[in-house]
Amino acid sequence: MTLARQAIVDGLKNIAGEERVITDEQVLKENSHDRYKKLETVFGIYTTPIPAALVKLKDTKQASDVLKYLNENNINSVARTGGTATEGGLETIVENSVVLDGSQMNQIIQIDSTNMQATAQCGVNLGEFEDRLREKGFTTGHSPQSKPLAHMGGLVATRSIGQFSTLYGGIEDMVVGIEAVFPNGRITRIKNVPRRAAGPDIRHVIIGNEGALCFITEVTVKIYKYFPENNQFLAWALDEMSMGFKILREVMVEGYRPSVARLYDVEDGAQHSFDQFAPDKCVLMFMAEGNERIAKATANGIAAVVETYEDCTPIDGKIIENWFNHLNWGPDKIAQEREFILKTQHLAYTTEVSGNWDCINTIYENAIKRIQNDYPYIDDLTMLGGHSSHSYQTGTNLYFVYDYDVKDCKPEEEINKYHIALNALIVEETLKAGGSMVHHHGIGKYRTPWTRKEHGSAYYILKGLKDQFDPNGIMNTGTIYPVE
Amino acid sequence: MKIAVCFKILPDYDRLSPKEWKWDEHHGVDTSFVRSIFNCFEESALEIALKLSRLLAKPSDKTELTALTIDNGQGDLFLKHLLAVGYDHAVRICPSKRHDLRFSPLSVSRLISAYMNLSEYQLSIFGKQGGEGDNGQTGFLVAEQLGWPCIREVTDVEKTQSPGFLKVTSRIEGAGLLQRIKLPVVLIMGHSPNSSYLRIPNLKQKLDAKKKQVTLLSEHDLKKDDKEMVIPDKTLIDLQRQKTDQSCIFLEGKTARDQARQLYDQYLKERLPL
Repeated sequence: MTLARQAIVDGLKNIAGEERVITDEQVLKENSHDRYKKLETVFGIYTTPIPAALVKLKDTKQASDVLKYLNENNINSVARTGGTATEGGLETIVENSVVLDGSQMNQIIQIDSTNMQATAQCGVNLGEFEDRLREKGFTTGHSPQSKPLAHMGGLVATRSIGQFSTLYGGIEDMVVGIEAVFPNGRITRIKNVPRRAAGPDIRHVIIGNEGALCFITEVTVKIYKYFPENNQFLAWALDEMSMGFKILREVMVEGYRPSVARLYDVEDGAQHSFDQFAPDKCVLMFMAEGNERIAKATANGIAAVVETYEDCTPIDGKIIENWFNHLNWGPDKIAQEREFILKTQHLAYTTEVSGNWDCINTIYENAIKRIQNDYPYIDDLTMLGGHSSHSYQTGTNLYFVYDYDVKDCKPEEEINKYHIALNALIVEETLKAGGSMVHHHGIGKYRTPWTRKEHGSAYYILKGLKDQFDPNGIMNTGTIYPVE
Repeated sequence: MKIAVCFKILPDYDRLSPKEWKWDEHHGVDTSFVRSIFNCFEESALEIALKLSRLLAKPSDKTELTALTIDNGQGDLFLKHLLAVGYDHAVRICPSKRHDLRFSPLSVSRLISAYMNLSEYQLSIFGKQGGEGDNGQTGFLVAEQLGWPCIREVTDVEKTQSPGFLKVTSRIEGAGLLQRIKLPVVLIMGHSPNSSYLRIPNLKQKLDAKKKQVTLLSEHDLKKDDKEMVIPDKTLIDLQRQKTDQSCIFLEGKTARDQARQLYDQYLKERLPL
């Protein structure tokens, strides 16, 4: 039997205390979504069921007690920290869901400069964490655009990646150990060791689970020496994305590890004003960092690779440095975006995918062509392009970017008419070419129609995790796993 | 109705860190690595003019829009944007490199007036200040040279049923002023909440605009010589960056309730209307 809304609230108050159980309607509305449905929420329209309550969790023990209660009573939970998710993963699609808010579990527990690791609770803001580390000459190496707002728990839960990933890797390469609570209330700690061969790497059950298997309470990440004074920016203008991918591949295969390796097409570059410095050109850029000798050797090596391509014209690295220093999204930019959307009904969205070197240009060209040919509202698009921003030995990612004017539809119809439809075309073309439909935002709730196709025969493993750890299906229903 | 909107492209000074404000021997700051943007007041002016062009009272009441800027190159990209969103003409006046126009609104106004006299414009719109130079005089000087009336701090403009008139909303010392104005007129835009963003062209409009031409005019084309452009009424001696350090108070309360109380008592209480 499912509990009524008030009974759920009463039960939570008994466990967590009255002051930690929030039922204010506006707070609940704002916690019923993430940054997926931007237009609706800017207009104060909330089409997702409003959760029964939000619980501001105090500690791991309380997270365990609350989850056990929700599990025993079949109440859906949605884990949340910084709230910067972009794929609908934080939407409370089930009636009377409970939002598990870990943002007050915000203690930096340890900075261990001997073992080069630091431990933070799930609600520690990455920006503040980095500031503390940088005071001591260290960095996590993790720097997503959401750094000023995102919290450690959410970053790990979504397999986040940062702007310096080509050197430091994604969050999965940074996590040493982790603590999480499963729906039956069991608290698990994966210990902090440099490497082990004690069976499968179980950290990866937790990293990227998007709240669909467990609630992350604490993470330990690697730390690195921080040498911003040695950063070197390099950039070139070129004609074709295909050549840019070729150069990116060569840089990676030759063994260079710049922290930033990005390739912008003409349209996306213009969004960032690169057309002012390289009109009608694609832009390829790198940042070399590390200690002085490594940074210098990396920059020189990359320059030597690129200079073998005659059609590349150098761009002043200072332009890229200045641009890069203003890329992050803080509360000010979020507020500006809301005001802009409200006044103009103009929206910008992205779909990020990945592919091996042999198919990435095909994905790029086919997805753009597919949209140009098949999307019925192409005249409403003001921008269609993309960039690669995270490269690997075996391939790279692609960030498709599309902006549009919302025309002839209500705010609540916009997401289906535009973002969902455009995202679907990109995902289909990516899977067709052999790539992955999602590089670093997580599946959330809107790419679940393709979860099975993404994993193919390996979906058996993914499904097994859900069956094992969340047999009652109370963990963020509709996220990662399609609703049956 | 022929409308000319005069706009300026500026470096995005918000993206210049304090350490990058270094004057060279010509009192210039290197901004070559910083993106350029529309001056915000002129962005509003450009959007207002577009709205005016769409509000056709009668078929005979056709509006012809010209975007006009003065610079040596960067402006073309912005002019193409304007052609894409609906401007009929894009004009760039290329001043002689011998003339530093940053602090010479009189020279700038002479170029603009000369251009305005080439055709039968009835409305010219400016932003109220330029960010760079920040003279706040150009629109007034153009009005004086053309012998047109001028309204400052404009927030909105609408067509009327009579083609030779406009309904202009402006702000004077905190009050709103709505006037019916006979053309020709110079309008100087202040903060316009309803038109703060210039529209963005769609993909097709951008492609079409690439094929369109920007009209380039020299000082010579406008019959302006050094005598008129170099005005020996003032000499730039020094420039200094204004310090804008902001004070900050940390709320020390133990709980959010304590902090909210402190915020209310120490800051909001005296500012909120009773």
